[in-house]
Amino acid sequence: MANAQGPETTGTVAPPLPTPRKTGGIGAATPRVDGRAKVTGAARYGSDFFGGPDPAYAFLATSAIARGRITEIDDSDARALPGVIDILTHRNVGDRVKPGKTFSDKGYMGTSIAPLASDRVWHDGQIVAVVVADSYEAARDAARRLRVSYADETPSASFDSPGTETVSAESKSKEGEKAGQEKPKVGDAPRAFEAAPVKIDQHYETPTQHHNPIELFTTTCAWDGDQLTVWESSQNVYGYQNGLAEQLGLEPSQIRVVSPFIGGAFGSRGSLTQRTALIALASKRIGRPVVLEATRQQGFTIATYRAETRHRIRLGADQSGKLTALIHEGWEVTSRKDEYKVAGTDASTRLYACPNIDSDVSIVHADRNTPGFMRSPPEVPYLFALESAMDELAYAAKIDPVELRRINDTDREPIKGLPYTSRSLMKCFDTAGQAFGWSRRSAQPGSMRDGDWMIGWGCASTMYPTQVGPAAARVTLRPDGAVRVQTAAHDIGTGAYTVIAQTAADRLGVPLDKVHVELGDTALPPAPVAGGSNTTASVCNVVAKACDEIRRKLAAAVTVSGGPLDGADPGRITLINASVMDDQGRMASLKDAVAKTGHGAVEAYAENIPHGAPPTAMQNLYKGQSALAGGAKLKDRIQFAFGAQFVEVRINARTREIRAPRIVGAYAGGTIVNPLTAKSQLMGGQIWGVSSALHEATEIDRRFARYYNDDLAEYLIPVNADITEVQTIFVPEEDHQVNELGIKGLGELGNVGLNAAVANAVFHATGVRIRKLPIRIESVLDAPVPT
Amino acid sequence: MVELKVNGAVRQVDAAPETPLLYVLREDLQLNGAKFGCGLGQCGACTVAIDGAPAFSCLLPVGLLAGREITTVEGLGSPDKPGPLQQAFIDEQAAQCGYCIAGMVMRAHTLLARNPSPTDDEILEHMSPNLCRCGAHMRIVAAIRRASSRKEASRSQRGAL
Repeated sequence: MANAQGPETTGTVAPPLPTPRKTGGIGAATPRVDGRAKVTGAARYGSDFFGGPDPAYAFLATSAIARGRITEIDDSDARALPGVIDILTHRNVGDRVKPGKTFSDKGYMGTSIAPLASDRVWHDGQIVAVVVADSYEAARDAARRLRVSYADETPSASFDSPGTETVSAESKSKEGEKAGQEKPKVGDAPRAFEAAPVKIDQHYETPTQHHNPIELFTTTCAWDGDQLTVWESSQNVYGYQNGLAEQLGLEPSQIRVVSPFIGGAFGSRGSLTQRTALIALASKRIGRPVVLEATRQQGFTIATYRAETRHRIRLGADQSGKLTALIHEGWEVTSRKDEYKVAGTDASTRLYACPNIDSDVSIVHADRNTPGFMRSPPEVPYLFALESAMDELAYAAKIDPVELRRINDTDREPIKGLPYTSRSLMKCFDTAGQAFGWSRRSAQPGSMRDGDWMIGWGCASTMYPTQVGPAAARVTLRPDGAVRVQTAAHDIGTGAYTVIAQTAADRLGVPLDKVHVELGDTALPPAPVAGGSNTTASVCNVVAKACDEIRRKLAAAVTVSGGPLDGADPGRITLINASVMDDQGRMASLKDAVAKTGHGAVEAYAENIPHGAPPTAMQNLYKGQSALAGGAKLKDRIQFAFGAQFVEVRINARTREIRAPRIVGAYAGGTIVNPLTAKSQLMGGQIWGVSSALHEATEIDRRFARYYNDDLAEYLIPVNADITEVQTIFVPEEDHQVNELGIKGLGELGNVGLNAAVANAVFHATGVRIRKLPIRIESVLDAPVPT
Repeated sequence: MVELKVNGAVRQVDAAPETPLLYVLREDLQLNGAKFGCGLGQCGACTVAIDGAPAFSCLLPVGLLAGREITTVEGLGSPDKPGPLQQAFIDEQAAQCGYCIAGMVMRAHTLLARNPSPTDDEILEHMSPNLCRCGAHMRIVAAIRRASSRKEASRSQRGAL
C-alpha cells in the first residue's frame, strides 16, 4: 500500500504561467474573494434561506412504481396528523401548473413530465404528492402515511429491456437542427474501413451517473401579494424565472430567483425541475413561505442524471497509423416522454484528421426520469469510447499511443475543413508526458510491476468546445475607487466572483478589495446559464466592456479644456492605481475625474453578443435563453480547448484492488484569468474523471426500473484517501479569435478523456481491455498475473 | 425547552429533545455553517465538534447534549477574523463550491486539537467520513497540513499553486 500512496507532490506547475499584469488583475493567482465567507459559515446557499420567520415545510411523496396510473390516494391518516396544513396531489393541482418545455426544446425544464398534472406515473420516484406542515417532521411523517394505490404496468428499465423504443436522434431533432444539431459525415467511411489494413471494431459502454452535489435539491418560496421570491441554488436564475412564469401563468417580472452561493451543481441545477412550481403553488395556497428539502434519495429521481450510453467504434488506419476511416455510433437512454440526448459525435468526429468519417446517434426511450446535463455531458461518454479505441489502434498498429495522436493531429477539423482557432493538443501531450515520465514506459502490457502491484500507464486526449454566451453587466465606479459589479451569473464553485472582480480591478485600475461583485439574482442584468464552461468568457468580456465604457466617460471628462488632463487624447487615457493617466504620465485622481463628469458616480451597463450568436441573442437572454455560440457550431471556424490526460493505475495481483495513485494532465485554455481557480476547476475535473472510471455508477433494478444505490453510502465517490497525487499543468496559449480576452473555459475540460486514460492504463497493467465503466475489482478478477 | 452550550454561549431552544442538532443550529440559532447534505451521516457536511470529538449533527438529538460543549465553524472565527485553521483553508484555496467546507474544517479541527502534527496517513484516515464533490481533495488536505504544527516543509508549498 505504501507504493500505492506514491511519491508526494501536489499540483506541480511545470511551465511558467502568464506574467500577471497587475496585482489582483487578469492573470494573477488571486485567492477566492469569497473564501472567507465560505470557511466561516457566512456564505448563504439556496438551502440557507427559510423565506421568513414562520415557514411551513414540504415533504415529497414519490411513486413506488415506474409505470402506470394512480388509482387512489387515501390521505385521511396524513391529514389527521397534527401540524399538517395542505396536501397537493394531481387531484388539486392538475393544469394549475403547466408542464413547460424542456431545455433542449427551447424551454427551461429538465423534463416535460409534469408530476401532478394527471394520474400518470412515468418513472420510479416521480412526485405523487407534496405534503405541507408546520414542521419538517410532521410533513415527513404525513407523507409516509399517504396510502397511494396504483394500477402498475411492467416498466422498461434500460437498454435491452422489452418495451423500449429506439429512434434515430436525427429524425427526432427538428428543433435540434435549428440549433445546429447534425450528423457529422465526410467521405465514404464504410468502404474505407473495409479496405483498411489495420482495423478496430469494438463496443463500449458507460453507466448511469448522478451529480450528487452535496447541497440537496431544496426550494424555498414566499409570496408578497402577486410577487413570488424563490430561493433555490441555480445555475440559471433567468431561466428559472422565465420557466416558472410559463408554468404558473405569471409575468417574469413577478418572480425573483435568488441564488448567491451554490453547493455544487455540475449541471444538475441548469434546467428547472418540476418541484419548484409545486412549492410556489403550495406557498400561495397556504399564504406562508414554504421550504422543501428533498431527500438525498429523492434527488436521484426528481432531478436529472447522466444516462447510460453504448457505442460502436470502427477505426481504420494504414500501416503508419494514419486514420483512413472513423465511424462512431452511439446509443443513449432517455425517458419515455422526452428526447434528451447528448450526441457527442459533434466532438468525437473532429478530434483527429481522417478523410472518411461517419456517425449516428440513437436514443432509447425507457420508463425512467429524463436525463440531463452532467459535467461535460457529450464528451465524457463519447470520448471514453473514441479514446479507448485509439489506444486499441495504437496496440494493433504497434505505435506508441502518444505518437498515434501526433500522426493524426490536425489544425483543421475534418468534416468541413474549418480551421481551429488554436489547438495545442500535442503541446499538452508533450508537456504532460514529460511530467509523467511517459518515456520510461515499457509498451508491453503486464510488463511493469512493483511487488504485488501490477502497474499500468495510460493516456488519452481531452477536448471541450469553447462556447461564449450573450451577457449583460452593470458596473458602478465611485470617486473613492469602490466598484460594484452586477450580473446574474453564477458561481457554482468555479470562482466566478473572483475572476469577475479581477477583471473589473484590472480594467478600472483599482485594488481587488475595492471591487464588490453581486451574482445569482434575477434583480441583476442577465448572464447565461453556468454550463458549457462559458461563464468566465461570457461574463469577463462583458464586464470588461462596461469598464471600458466607464473609462471612456472619465476620459472624455478629464480631457476637456480646463480639465485636469486638458489636451490629452481621450483614446489614450488609462485607469491605473486608482487614478486616471494620460500617455504623458500625467495623473488625475479618480475623485477629480468623477467630479468632472458632473455625476456622483460613473455607471455603465453593457451587453455583449458573441461571435456566431444571432442579433436577437440579448432579447432571448432576458427571456432566460442562453444560446451559447462556438465549438463546432460556427460557420467560419471551429473553437475547442484541448488537453492530455495521463494516469498510473496499480492493480494488486492478489486482491485485484485498483488504485490510481498518479494523475497528470496538461491543458491549454487560452487566457487563464486566475491560475488558482482555474487549477481548482481542472483538478476537480481530473478527480471526476477518475471517479467516473473507477467509482461511480447508479445501479438499476431492471425488474422495477428503480435505482437502488440512491444514497452517498452506496453511490461511490472518492474521498481524500482515494486521491493521492494530482498534477495539473497549464500549457500557455493565446487565442484572441475566440473572444477579446482570449478565454476558452476550463470547467469541463479536465473531466473528459480521463476515464479512457484509466481504462487504457488498466489494459497496460493487465493485458485485459475493459470496455465498460466503471472498472472495479470484479472487472479484473480474471486478468492473468504476468510472470 | 432545551439548554445548549454552543460556541461558548448558553442558548435556550424551544425544541423537542429528539430534534437533530443540525436543525436547531440552522433554524433556531441561525448558525448556517453546518450543512444538510443527507441527514444520514453519509456526507459529513453537518460535522460539528462535541466536547472536542467530531459528530454528525444531523444524527444527534439535542436532548443528549445538555452540558456538552458544542463547537460549530462559526466558533472558530468570523469573516473579519478567521481562525488559524480557517485561514489555512483560505490560503490553500480549499473551498470550491464550499458546501462541504464547514464540515471539513470542523472534522480537521478535532484532529489537530488532539494531534497537532498528524502524518498524511492520519489526516487521510481521519477525514475519510467527509465527502467533497467538487474535487478539492488535494487542497483540503494541504490546508490541514498547513494548519498543523508539522516541522517539515509541507507538500503543498512545493507546488506553488
